[in-house]
Amino acid sequence: MAVLALPGIAGADSPITQISADYNFSWYQEDKLDSSKAADSGNRDRFKVQMHQFHAEAPVFDRADVGIDVIYETMSGATPWYVVPDADGDPIQVMTGATVEDSRTDVLATGRLYFDDARASLSGGGSFEKDTLSVNGGLSSEHHFNDNNTTLGGGVGFAYDRIEPVDTDRFPLRPKDENRSATTAFLSLEQVLTATSVIQSSLTYRHNRGFLSDPYKRVLVAGDPIADSRPDSRNQGAWLTRYRHHFKALGGSLHADYRFFLDDWEMTSHTLELAWYQDVWRTLQLVPSFRYYSQSQAEFYGPFFANMRSDGHYSSDYRLAPYGAMSAGLKATGEFDLWSLHFRTVLAYERYISGGDYALGKVDLENPGLVSYHLISLGLTIRF
Amino acid sequence: MTTPVTTPVTTPKTTAVRIAATLVALITLLASVGCASVKPWERGYLGRTDMAWNPDPLETTRKEHVQFSKEASLGGGGIGGGGCGCN
Repeated sequence: MAVLALPGIAGADSPITQISADYNFSWYQEDKLDSSKAADSGNRDRFKVQMHQFHAEAPVFDRADVGIDVIYETMSGATPWYVVPDADGDPIQVMTGATVEDSRTDVLATGRLYFDDARASLSGGGSFEKDTLSVNGGLSSEHHFNDNNTTLGGGVGFAYDRIEPVDTDRFPLRPKDENRSATTAFLSLEQVLTATSVIQSSLTYRHNRGFLSDPYKRVLVAGDPIADSRPDSRNQGAWLTRYRHHFKALGGSLHADYRFFLDDWEMTSHTLELAWYQDVWRTLQLVPSFRYYSQSQAEFYGPFFANMRSDGHYSSDYRLAPYGAMSAGLKATGEFDLWSLHFRTVLAYERYISGGDYALGKVDLENPGLVSYHLISLGLTIRF
Repeated sequence: MTTPVTTPVTTPKTTAVRIAATLVALITLLASVGCASVKPWERGYLGRTDMAWNPDPLETTRKEHVQFSKEASLGGGGIGGGGCGCN
């Protein structure tokens, strides 16, 4: 999902003056499903993804610049299908069995126009997969005032997805052709606190409508695996507050972010992210980071259902389950000049683990499909 | 067979009211400190790359894509972009 980001530091916004190009390769690997959580001895390998990211930007004239982002990723592996009870009534996972092979291409173009105390951004793009076509557009702006110590930002965005699931002949419960849309709006307020600290708080609202179920998942209801079925609208809200503080004596900067989320599927979540950017030498920077996440369950979620619900909505998708997750990462960045060009290299690793025990609330039955993963990235930036 | 639940500490409606109240308090705080001005020549540290909200935009895009695919929450980092079959 490409993102037209929130505004930058107040007063630091200006058009870029150099052409630059970035490339990043990432390798994502989910942990194999534990045999004690599997319903059968079939394929327990989870997803692995290889992602190529390309970004380029260039000045257009004194007050404008443009950028383009391209992502190409290939995915393979088995995915959770539905959940059944074992002999003791504990949930165990039925996997899709066959390995899924797919690829996705995402393109996003952005143009920015700069004024004396303001900036406007316009973006448009698309995402293309074998079974999903998505187009999106957005408009955002920010205005600096109070001697550039305060910035007010806002924006709107729209996305439309067309979904045509594969293998509908073999799996007749899958819909043949569906669509969904999302409209997003955000407001942000940013304040420089001191010469070394700044804070930003933002509210984001998104309205989703259309086919919001997962066409590839089923759910066990009264002993029968039926199609995943969710409401056809979803209103989401997120409150994100971010703080940056540079410690001169240490030569490092603290990043602290907190996000609260809620929606009308009765889900709430809390996310806390901390990172420390430490200069080691003039050309090397190390960034250790930590993230904690906890979410409650959707109102219509259950690993399985003994009885029919009056609204007909059911899902055993682990992404709608109650759980918590922790991740830790380390990133190293090096910069050097060669052949009149400026190079920047990045090597990063992240480990993410999730489970019912990490949730803020008590989880009675943990979903067996919860995911843990490794993420390794290698990047190169060239400034001309 | 039962539907498991987390033990809610608060209801979503109560939480929303608390969030709104906290936000108003935060905006009031920001407005009050807004009177203390940092001059342009004092902004050297604020202009550092590691003081940006997203020092590495490709990393931000990658992480938000993974989290969007594996978690139920909205990113909150902007207006979002294209969807995908991953969620």
